[in-house]
Amino acid sequence: MPRVHLGDWVANGVEWLRVHLGWLFDAVKTVVEHMYDGANAVLTAPEPLLLAGILGVLALWLRGPLPAVLAFAGLALIDSIEQWEPAMNSLALVLVSCLIIFALAVPIGIAAARSRAVSGAVRPVLDLMQTMPAMVYLIPGIFFFGVGPVPGMVATIVFAMPPAVRLTELGIRQVDAELVEAAEAFGTHPRRTLWRVQLPLALPTIMAGVNQVIMLALSMVVIAGMVGGGGLGSTVYDGISSVDVGLGFEGGVAVVILAIYLDRMTGALNQRVSPLGRRALAKADAALGGPRFLRWKPATPLAMVGVLVLALVAGGLNAFGRADEVPKVTADVGHGRPVSMGYIDWPEGVASTYLWKEILQQRGFTPEVKSLEVGALYNGQAQGSVDIQTNSWLPATHAPYWKKYRDQLEDYGAWYDRTSLEIAVPSYVKGVRTLDDLKGKGGLFKGKIYGIEPGAGETKLYEDQVQNVYGLKGEYRLVKSNTSAMLAQLDRAYAKKEPIAVSLWSPHWAYDKYRLTKLADPRKAFGSGDGIHTLGRKGFAAKEPRVARWLKDFKLTEAQLTALEGAIEDAGKGHQEDGVRTWLRKNPGIVDKLAPVGGTR
Amino acid sequence: MSARESSRLEADGLYKVFGRRPEEAVDRLRAGAGREELRADGTTAAVIDASFTVEPGQIFVVMGLSGSGKSTLLRMLNGLLEPTAGHVRFDGRDLTALSDRELREVRARNISMVFQHFALFPHRSVLENAAYGLEVQGVPRAERHARATEALALCGLAGWEKSWPDELSGGMQQRVGLARALATDADLLLMDESFSALDPLIRRDMQDQLLELQKTLKKTIVFITHDLNEAMLLGDHVAVMRDGRIVQTGTAEDILVRPADDYVASFTQDVDRSRVLTAGAVMDTAVRGDEADCGCATATPDTPFAELCALSARLSHPVAVVDSARSPVGVVPRQRLVGFLGDERGAPVPCEAAPGGADACAAPVAGTPRPDGARRDDARRGDAPRGDARRGDTAGDDAPKVVTARA
Repeated sequence: MPRVHLGDWVANGVEWLRVHLGWLFDAVKTVVEHMYDGANAVLTAPEPLLLAGILGVLALWLRGPLPAVLAFAGLALIDSIEQWEPAMNSLALVLVSCLIIFALAVPIGIAAARSRAVSGAVRPVLDLMQTMPAMVYLIPGIFFFGVGPVPGMVATIVFAMPPAVRLTELGIRQVDAELVEAAEAFGTHPRRTLWRVQLPLALPTIMAGVNQVIMLALSMVVIAGMVGGGGLGSTVYDGISSVDVGLGFEGGVAVVILAIYLDRMTGALNQRVSPLGRRALAKADAALGGPRFLRWKPATPLAMVGVLVLALVAGGLNAFGRADEVPKVTADVGHGRPVSMGYIDWPEGVASTYLWKEILQQRGFTPEVKSLEVGALYNGQAQGSVDIQTNSWLPATHAPYWKKYRDQLEDYGAWYDRTSLEIAVPSYVKGVRTLDDLKGKGGLFKGKIYGIEPGAGETKLYEDQVQNVYGLKGEYRLVKSNTSAMLAQLDRAYAKKEPIAVSLWSPHWAYDKYRLTKLADPRKAFGSGDGIHTLGRKGFAAKEPRVARWLKDFKLTEAQLTALEGAIEDAGKGHQEDGVRTWLRKNPGIVDKLAPVGGTR
Repeated sequence: MSARESSRLEADGLYKVFGRRPEEAVDRLRAGAGREELRADGTTAAVIDASFTVEPGQIFVVMGLSGSGKSTLLRMLNGLLEPTAGHVRFDGRDLTALSDRELREVRARNISMVFQHFALFPHRSVLENAAYGLEVQGVPRAERHARATEALALCGLAGWEKSWPDELSGGMQQRVGLARALATDADLLLMDESFSALDPLIRRDMQDQLLELQKTLKKTIVFITHDLNEAMLLGDHVAVMRDGRIVQTGTAEDILVRPADDYVASFTQDVDRSRVLTAGAVMDTAVRGDEADCGCATATPDTPFAELCALSARLSHPVAVVDSARSPVGVVPRQRLVGFLGDERGAPVPCEAAPGGADACAAPVAGTPRPDGARRDDARRGDAPRGDARRGDTAGDDAPKVVTARA
């Protein structure tokens, strides 16, 4: 039999999609990530027991006192086994996934119910989505969206969506044709028929779909944890990879509690949202014996008030909690004057900017930071809306911007010298010290160098210069994906002590986290590197001479910078300040060194 | 009169063909192709060349067995199905030429429908169901609830507003369906086998109530049924459909007394004549003018057959039929009543048995009380052979003149 290279075709197709539709995946990633961050922020903000209380009130509203008590107890248990934060991460992931699923599945289901052609086209796709092992989605998922919650959510969406589509279609098809005809006979617009007749009557079936989808989504949480999705999946995955039975069990129990809670609540929600469900519920309640208080349920407004009160308390506690987090002003130089800082979302940009944000806060200023696109950053600074940036790669990388805006900018000099682009291998790979050494070792590295984004300068330099200068073309292929995927690959290979070559640059936190060898570039094929400069807007030094002087003297070593980047990376997105503080605690006195206040101390 | 004239419904050469290339099929049907021929090609001719007119305030019944195309025909009248060819005119407008939006507007305001299986919305209360059409029209809540309550009361459901459809019996559910159709104040009511799913007693009840309501509401109604008894009872005019074609249109008595073909005739055999026929249809119109002078009870042309029988049983002579001025318009001898009931219009045959038995055999005829010779003559003339009435053969000047009781 001839070998049919189906896998290669798919892989090539995926690669092609990633290259040509990268902008689309980036857009999807941004949207999904923001939704997840938002849901996560809401769920992790309140005190665990208060949120458990809120969820308990919902259980009371939907199912009555006993389920409410059980729900609260279960959620409290999650908190007491210290799985609250991961559990809320997972909950956010499930909720956002389900939201997206229903935004997609209900319209598809409706279309399938209305048109036999759509139904016929959708069915095999659903079969494929449902039966393909879920892990398979993760691979292209990482390729398209990098590691983090997004590929996990995408895999969850793909895996859990089919029942939602199917049950929506079924529900609408099940609606008695005579009822639809009756609506039509009274002159109802088809859209109105859908909203007022078909969907309400299909609701019980669609809600059964909600239930199914949530359960399937929860079952995907563990798998999402394997691609850095965080949450309980990571807990369980950590438990598995470190053969920690206890940890795995705790994570598993938390998943089960969430699953039962969501299952019972969505089941009961069905009876609350549809008039038919409410009537069935009332009948069932009337048929049941036993003391009435066991079946007492608050009316919807009362339940809303309960939730609102608890939410306000949570908000209030948070307001006080936040106050503690503002760093102590150690020397009030700024008297609350604002300083606007812009940065590009690169590790060294984030690290230096948040470091200075912390320092300026400690010196009595009110710094404000914003993440900007390169062009927007330079433009904004030239126009005066950004006071300082610490992200200018000169003389090479940002030369066009510097040339264009130099008259509106002030250069405070390089705080890091000198950056470099390179290929790096783990130190346990012996005998590979320079790019020349790679030649002939293609077998060892499986002929691959894991690169970053295809559009990156480093990728272009490798393909146009490096591989030709060192004769690596043919023997090695640069696997272009993105920085996160490359780092995930590095992390995995490093854990297994497998040989791997990655394209990296200095400064980078990876040099702090792993023991890596930067391969020397004796023929200077990667160029000679930049300094990372601090720039101020024109006139900033005159307005804030003290800050300008601190920035002019600002220097970080590679070890310091990579450690700082590592600390921020560990703290996670949205917690950059925590990362900076962790690093500052490990480097006492550094604030005074970087921003000396002279005699005032 | 002229205001009501506008709500006349007219169907003109309606065709409905399902399947591929329906227009082509219509051309073939017009050229004389049969239904079976088309079916061989995979197209189904559901309705073929249906034309009729329903005058305002009339009940027009379309009668036919399942598969005869009557439901398809009904659905073309309000545009639920688009005719393949032909026109529907209502209220002076050609419904087949309207846009979707205009058609919806017509359905919401001018035409309403009552369904076989009630088609009540299970997620709405009885009141909300009855108010549905008004809701579509965009009538404000308070007003539509008031009007729906009124419609429910009209249908005998006062006090059931807050109930749910599944809590009602079948008959009551159909009353809600009727109330829903009446609430919109539409001029035209389409009723699709509306009473077929009800058990016989309830069905009788609903039929009577519909006729009662119609006396005051004077809607234009198109009623579909497979039950000829129902058709005869309700219909001012009845159309009988077979295999997609209307085979006969006429009054109930037309259909009963002069069926167009054997197919229609085979239906009429099962009809409960006593419910359909009236004195006007049965009476002998050759009158002398003094029949009502004796002071005995008389009938009018509208008197139902059953009542006529009761009258006849109490009288010793034929029942006189008088008009509103109390001048006699006809007489009904007992022999005629028995003959109509049995669908036998022939004269009594003389008994050919032995003389001893002759009296006994002749007894039913001879025993018929005949007060005088003139009466006997009349009776004899009335019972004279007239050929087969079923064929519509009206030979003889004394054949019963078909009078539409409610015309």
